[in-house]
Amino acid sequence: MKKRLISFLVATVAAVSLVVPSAIAADLTDVGFLDQAQLASLPVFQRAQGQLAQYQSQLRSQYDGQYRAAKTDADKQRVAMAYQQAMSDKQRELIGPLYARAQMAIANVADSKHLSIVVDKRIVVYGGQDITKDVISLVTSSKAITPPATAAPSSEIGFVDQTALETAQKVKDAADQLAKYQADQQKVYGEKLKGVKGDVEKQQIIADYNKAMQDKRNQLLTPLIDQTKSATQTIAKSKNLLLVIDRADVVYGGTDITQDVQNALGK
Amino acid sequence: MALACAAALGGCARVDVHAPNVRGIAYVRMDEVMKHHPLHAQLAQLQDSIAAINLEATLPHEPLSAAQIAAQTKDLKAQFKTAEDRAGKAIAALQQTYAQKEHDADVAAAKAAGVDPAAIGIGAAMSAQSQAQAESAAQAAAQGYVTYQQSVVAQDAEAMKAISAQLSKQADQKLRARVEQYQQDESDLSLRLAQQDAPERIALKTKLNNLALDPAARKSVQSQISAIDKKESAQVSALHAQHEKALDAYRAQVAKETNAEIAKQTAAIRDESAAKINARRVAVGAQLRSLGGPPVPTQSIPPQLAKSLGQIHQQLIAQYQTDAQKIASDFSATQDDLNRQFEALHGADVGATGAAAKELKDLQQRHDALQQQMIAQIQSEAKRIASEMGFSVVLDSVDAAPGGYDLTNDLIHDVESLHE
Repeated sequence: MKKRLISFLVATVAAVSLVVPSAIAADLTDVGFLDQAQLASLPVFQRAQGQLAQYQSQLRSQYDGQYRAAKTDADKQRVAMAYQQAMSDKQRELIGPLYARAQMAIANVADSKHLSIVVDKRIVVYGGQDITKDVISLVTSSKAITPPATAAPSSEIGFVDQTALETAQKVKDAADQLAKYQADQQKVYGEKLKGVKGDVEKQQIIADYNKAMQDKRNQLLTPLIDQTKSATQTIAKSKNLLLVIDRADVVYGGTDITQDVQNALGK
Repeated sequence: MALACAAALGGCARVDVHAPNVRGIAYVRMDEVMKHHPLHAQLAQLQDSIAAINLEATLPHEPLSAAQIAAQTKDLKAQFKTAEDRAGKAIAALQQTYAQKEHDADVAAAKAAGVDPAAIGIGAAMSAQSQAQAESAAQAAAQGYVTYQQSVVAQDAEAMKAISAQLSKQADQKLRARVEQYQQDESDLSLRLAQQDAPERIALKTKLNNLALDPAARKSVQSQISAIDKKESAQVSALHAQHEKALDAYRAQVAKETNAEIAKQTAAIRDESAAKINARRVAVGAQLRSLGGPPVPTQSIPPQLAKSLGQIHQQLIAQYQTDAQKIASDFSATQDDLNRQFEALHGADVGATGAAAKELKDLQQRHDALQQQMIAQIQSEAKRIASEMGFSVVLDSVDAAPGGYDLTNDLIHDVESLHE
């Protein structure tokens, strides 16, 4: 009896050891993608974009005069900010409700297909589930769309908001220094280009300019990029993520590790 | 090629696609693969050419004279007018063509339905169609007139400001040159007098050094030196006073000339703009007056034929809008470039303009097309390899990858083999 029990236990353990790794290692099938460009080309979006473009054109002619008339840099900045604000308000008014409906449709379709993440089509090289048709069909239907009952399941694909990371003071400082250096180099190499007629000589000047810029970029930005990559890699590993992508490429779901990366970089 | 594939597949065979840290997911560092594409050198060359134009656009320009600014402003306005006329004529011709097309299609549809086109007012339909198009065109022209007027006035204000600033700068330069000349003359006179009186001054100072000189004689020598100093100073002061007077007169003359020149040039700009605005007003007025009421049909249109005519109308309207949009886009691109040239003329940093902007656009298009071609080819190869290796998803643009499989090197082997 004892021997049978041991055999049973051994057999069970063996069966579990065969099943469990394959269950853990099941391939990811919950990755969907959306062709956002196709969604944006829907007549309803096109109409709203057209109205926005028309508004922008009117607004621009109105603010151009004010900008030209502005005497100080502070006045110019005030005019530019007022223009940006007016544009944002109009965009929210025209595109906001459409965007909200599209987001709701994406969440519904993703939920019905048990997707943990939906990314933009641009970054999908192969595979994944294309949900573009389903989303378009739901967006263009006349029925009201309600939010799905459950939130997106946890995903082994994480994302980082690169724009949030770029607001760090040291990144801003490096970017400012690089922009200043670029402006200076443009003057220096621009002067060298003046009057040069031969293509070979011209190409050499451009190559030198590119090299100067690349060297400066490496000097200023590469250490920051490496630091960010390393922090992202460490956080992703600790959270058992397989890949991390940019937030700009995520349409729905995914695991947001931006705050963790920011905290790690701030230490 | 075969060897490369074998090498790549050899590599693939060692990958456990379903391992817990891979789970059927892979990624590609597309930028890295692009560098190994056979067409990468061509792409880099196009990028360099684009960079060269952008760099040249940042060059500081030689300051233009007021006359040059005025001439170039006039030239840009002429170019704008030509582009505008060309677009207007193209739109008018397009309206005519489509009105004729619709008329012909309507006549054919009516005849096919056994109905006399004239009796159901097909000719009138054409007129009505032309009427609608003309109304729409006139409405657009009326709206455009106001915008045009505003843009001409704004451009004039900028041009007048630039001309006024340039002429004032030239006047300042003239005055400064005259002041410097006078100062030089006064220094020269002072030096000349000092040299002229030097022997006498030295002789008198030598006498002063004689300790045996009695006080009365010493006083006399000192007063002689003082007299020489006064004489020199009086001559220099006289010249200075003369110069001050001449300078006042010259300042008044330059100011008068500058104001006259500013007035002349701004009047020319105003006259030219007023003529242009007036011409536009006349054209818009004529367009509005040319509208007439459509003729009335004498027989009702059978429902089936009405449906066919509606379809023809919708189809042609859609085609017309596509063609008209193209003309409008071309005009808009020209207008944008001319506006940028205008801003550049008045000192704004707007990047490449004119022929350089056209070349830049052409290079950018070729660059984008080549890049797309390379990406499509790489993606196609990536799909094939991913499918052969059994991956479920392959992504590009990955920020970090503690798991998954990096397909980049396999793809580089494959892409490099495209040379062979």
